[in-house]
Amino acid sequence: MNHDIDIKKLRLNCFRQSKVPGEFMLQMRVPGGTIDAKYLSYVEHIAKTWGDGSFHIGTRQSFDIPGIPYENIPAVNAYLEQYIQEVDSQLCGVDMDTVSHEPKPWDPTSGYPTIGARNITGCIGNYHCICGNCNTFELARRIEPIIFPSHYHIKINIAGCPNDCNKAHLCDFGIIGVARMTYHPERCIACGACVRACEKGATRVLTLNEASGKVEKDACCCVGCGECVRACPTSAWTRQETKFYRVILGGRTGRQTPRIGKMFLNWATEDVVLGVLKNWQKFSAWVMDYKPEYLHGGHLIDRAGYKKFKEIILDGVELNPECLVAEDMFWHETEYRSNFNVKPLSMHHTAGPKK
Amino acid sequence: MGFSLSAAQADAVLHALKNDYRIFAPKRFPSQGRYSDTDIIRYEEIDGFSDIVWETKSDYPAKEVITPIQQTIFYFTEDEYRASKAKEKPILLLARPCDINAQQIQAKIYCENGDYEDLYYKRIRERVKFALMDCNGGDDTCFCVSMEANKTDDYALALKFSPEGLLVQVKDETFTPYFTGMPQADYTPAFVEENSLKVNIPDLDDKAVRLALKMHPMWQEFNRRCISCGACTVACSTCTCFTTRDLIYGDNPEVGERRRVAASCQIAGFDQMAGQREIRSTAGDRMRYKVLHKFHDYKARFGERHMCVGCGRCTHRCPELIAISATVNKVNAAVEEIKAGLAGQ
Repeated sequence: MNHDIDIKKLRLNCFRQSKVPGEFMLQMRVPGGTIDAKYLSYVEHIAKTWGDGSFHIGTRQSFDIPGIPYENIPAVNAYLEQYIQEVDSQLCGVDMDTVSHEPKPWDPTSGYPTIGARNITGCIGNYHCICGNCNTFELARRIEPIIFPSHYHIKINIAGCPNDCNKAHLCDFGIIGVARMTYHPERCIACGACVRACEKGATRVLTLNEASGKVEKDACCCVGCGECVRACPTSAWTRQETKFYRVILGGRTGRQTPRIGKMFLNWATEDVVLGVLKNWQKFSAWVMDYKPEYLHGGHLIDRAGYKKFKEIILDGVELNPECLVAEDMFWHETEYRSNFNVKPLSMHHTAGPKK
Repeated sequence: MGFSLSAAQADAVLHALKNDYRIFAPKRFPSQGRYSDTDIIRYEEIDGFSDIVWETKSDYPAKEVITPIQQTIFYFTEDEYRASKAKEKPILLLARPCDINAQQIQAKIYCENGDYEDLYYKRIRERVKFALMDCNGGDDTCFCVSMEANKTDDYALALKFSPEGLLVQVKDETFTPYFTGMPQADYTPAFVEENSLKVNIPDLDDKAVRLALKMHPMWQEFNRRCISCGACTVACSTCTCFTTRDLIYGDNPEVGERRRVAASCQIAGFDQMAGQREIRSTAGDRMRYKVLHKFHDYKARFGERHMCVGCGRCTHRCPELIAISATVNKVNAAVEEIKAGLAGQ
């Protein structure tokens, strides 16, 4: 097999190198992991026409089609135009003629322009789930035009509720739908169902006050899951109409330093979440001296330090009154090797513009 | 006398009525449902015509206006007490036939069950006039026809809603002045004659059958399925059970108020007695008690009718998707089985 293929260029084009030289796997974006089922026929067509006929459900909820020979890639990219136009341009309102918010005309037959901002994943959320507090894929579709196309890496996972089935704790920027509750004491019959539900399934913040026959709440430890609302037989607990989100920052897997993300924002409105994400490119550009590298977002926060991250990412964002922001952030990494961080100065990563 | 009103005219009439009545109707509470981005519809005093939800059955029954989930019945200070005061202003209550019929049942329990008339029920019930909401049969949980609760003549006004406005029949002439100058039209309310859902009432006249039914394994299904939350009885148009709770105002236990708070036979502890004994200690036992209460016991005591009006709200609100209609059908099957067994002996 004699190949001369620029695999790095193909990677940016969302084609992943195969162990079989000259074969590639396409990764199609499915923002929020939910899409019209008609697009499965596109997947089938690509797999059967240009791939090896198999289909993999991507770990980031992309449609992955392996076994595509290099020669077929132009045809696949040309066929992808309609999918990209319908899903990204029309459904999500993505401006395909920009990269990282800078003008860069897109050739519609050239496939995906960037790999950096990964597919936004989502659980099914309140579209279906009895636990969900938000519509995950609608939020993903509003985030998509902010982060894509871009060479700056970010992995965003959206979970509809604090049960976090979609692992917001294990990505750069995890978003969890939370609810703020209203208690209507005049409807409460003191049955204790909410107290038991919170104790069994959440953070044990509710107590039945036997003297008043009403429920009391330790609001600061409430995770906003809404299990009390679900348990209540009288609608004495209800969700407020405004949607709120918790943002979990800097989680990751990986060979070196996997770690669980930590709470960055709590009770943020959607406007705040979107405003923060609008600063993501600016932050990434600053850390890497305006030259995008193939480097995951969480590592950029490590290089800049949380406080610098916070300064840039919150720039111009008007926080809603309920919103809480982490003053500091202490991740706990898995250290496969002790003294992992102790090394010569020359090996240390740096952040910010170079002189 | 009948009228045909546009939405604006209906709003004008409502505003005139509000001078003399508190008007309660089903109202939408956005995003207050059990699940995210779902609403609840429950009774509340309304401000205008657009507040009224008429296309969909309310999640909670009209009884909440007359027997609220919680009400203060009296205040006490050391050796004195004073009953709470009822609001003087009469109530116009918009309700479907099932909810109006339910009040006949609640009145029996509160005022004709023994020698005692319940002051707190009576004083508010006397101030209520019904505005019948013309109902075309509700949704697929409704079986009012099976329960003979589809018709009523206990109403002052009858209302038929449409997106354009309102047809009104004025039955109580004291309401006529509010419609002065409004366009007249003939309207007589129609009552639904058939629901898509039909329920056959089990024949439980034979005590031997009832005793066998009590022990029948069908109830064990609910030990697994029912979570004993009580949502069915809170949503029930006719359930009357309540408990009392004393709220002590401060550090003097002799000063406070006594409240009446809804209780549910489905919630564990409802029948706990001195010595901690419970008569119905499983979800299946409690379900049996409720079903037989609604479909046998009440009628056995008061005659006339069963206690269920077939509004279907218990089915609608059950988080575990237990349908009262399916449950009654299972009772029917069990009764047939029991009768066949008894006949064979």
